[in-house]
Amino acid sequence: MPDHSPSGAGRPGIIHDLGYRRFDGVREGSGAIARTLFATGLRHAYGLGRSGKSKVMPFLLLAMSLLPAAIVVGVVVLTGLDELPVSYADYTNQTQLLVSLFAAAQAPVLFSRDLRHRSIVLYLARPLGATALALVRWLSLTVAVFVFTAVPTAVLFAGAMLAGLDKSDQATSMLKAVTLQVLLAMLVAGLSGLISSVSLRRGFAVVGSVMALIVLTGVVTVMQNIAYFEGDSEAVSTGVGLVSPWSLYTGLANAWDAGIETPVPVDGAWVPAYVIVAALIAAGCLLGLVARFRKVGSL
Amino acid sequence: MNAGMMNGTIAKLALQALLGRRRFYLLLAFPTLLVGLVALVTALVDGDAAFSVLPNLGYPLVLPLVAILAASSVLGPEVDDGSIVYLLSKPVNRYGVAFSKWLVALAATLVTGALPIFVAGLVTGHTTRSTALLVAAAVAGTAYSALFVAISAVTRHAVIASLMFVLIWEGLLGNLFTGVAWLSIGQWGLRVGHEVSDYLPDVVDLPYAVVASLLVTVVAVWFAGDRLRSFSLRGED
Repeated sequence: MPDHSPSGAGRPGIIHDLGYRRFDGVREGSGAIARTLFATGLRHAYGLGRSGKSKVMPFLLLAMSLLPAAIVVGVVVLTGLDELPVSYADYTNQTQLLVSLFAAAQAPVLFSRDLRHRSIVLYLARPLGATALALVRWLSLTVAVFVFTAVPTAVLFAGAMLAGLDKSDQATSMLKAVTLQVLLAMLVAGLSGLISSVSLRRGFAVVGSVMALIVLTGVVTVMQNIAYFEGDSEAVSTGVGLVSPWSLYTGLANAWDAGIETPVPVDGAWVPAYVIVAALIAAGCLLGLVARFRKVGSL
Repeated sequence: MNAGMMNGTIAKLALQALLGRRRFYLLLAFPTLLVGLVALVTALVDGDAAFSVLPNLGYPLVLPLVAILAASSVLGPEVDDGSIVYLLSKPVNRYGVAFSKWLVALAATLVTGALPIFVAGLVTGHTTRSTALLVAAAVAGTAYSALFVAISAVTRHAVIASLMFVLIWEGLLGNLFTGVAWLSIGQWGLRVGHEVSDYLPDVVDLPYAVVASLLVTVVAVWFAGDRLRSFSLRGED
């Protein structure tokens, strides 16, 4: 029996050496924690390292967004077209429903579960603070969404190269699309992450994200078309596009000549306005996420 | 399926789950958004342009989303946190549980989905077309809410599964392949509404649309009850 009597004046406390093996490897700092957390988050967004059932949804959506790309490549190769029937940036735009659903479905995995079960407190017991935790989570989802859009782009590009299309044209168009996809992923991940961290029930988080990503975009598209074709107001048509992440994406792709048509071309002072609003939305979502993690993380 | 299946207490609890807390505001946001948008476009442009919002946005998107939200509110949280076992440990007919919950989801879908579409239509000044859409939305809303309650009883991922049915099957594929209309609740509703106004499309046969809607509703509610009868609780995945 160990001696439980308090260590008083004549009894200095002793740490007994019980003979356990000591850790003498490299002690890594918070950088390593952040990297591991990021990689785990990215894997979890695709259901890797989780149960078999949680892999179904992300990979089903990914397969659905890859199928048209494979068909397009097949058509280009077989019929010998000299350009892709759809631009890289426009392909992402055409499959926006799948991208939005992926973000809406997987954001709760990264943002709701820790907060709902309060396991965030355990994370915060480690050196990484609430701010860093929120940023790393956001980065995981951003990269996950980006990968979701980049994989079909890579398939299209590989097909275009195999079919012998003009290399420099295709590379330019592809790189433009990839840059825009990074911006899009930041916006989509920020919005769906913020919604999932506020609404902790998975179902309501998903409906909230769908509202912000799909319903809002539908409203914006309708407004843009009505403003241009019925109301003859180009300024309103372009201005409404500032509201939703997808219309920001299409607007910037149009301004940058990346192969997407908008009801009214985005040019002049609208271009910096689109860039600034996109940056503000991304930054606002990040600030919101950090504030939310700080509030929930504090005991 | 008759009035005897209705369990007042369970319906009351489902209603409380629906109206309680923040989800009520989410449920209320859709009709507010829809009527506000249509009123705004009517004021700024004209009624014809505003009415086009309804068949393009209100009927195919807002109505099913409201139905999903209502159906998952009455059953989803209980399945999600496992508290449904307390309900299921009571000697209550499981079909009665499913039926009562579906009735509440149906009422919510009609009040916050079908009615706002009608009101928004009246704002634009097209009375006949609005009535047609109301009929269509009532038919589709009935089948939608039953189907989504059934999905909620089967899987924890009910919201995403229901969304994929509405957005990808009825929306994306429905626009590409006309044959999807035969298996699309939205199109069945529109076909019934077509009887009121020719403005709505008539892709499928009327008897088929009516029978299919009825069949989906009855089978889905029965299936939800059957699932609850052999319900097994699984851990978070």
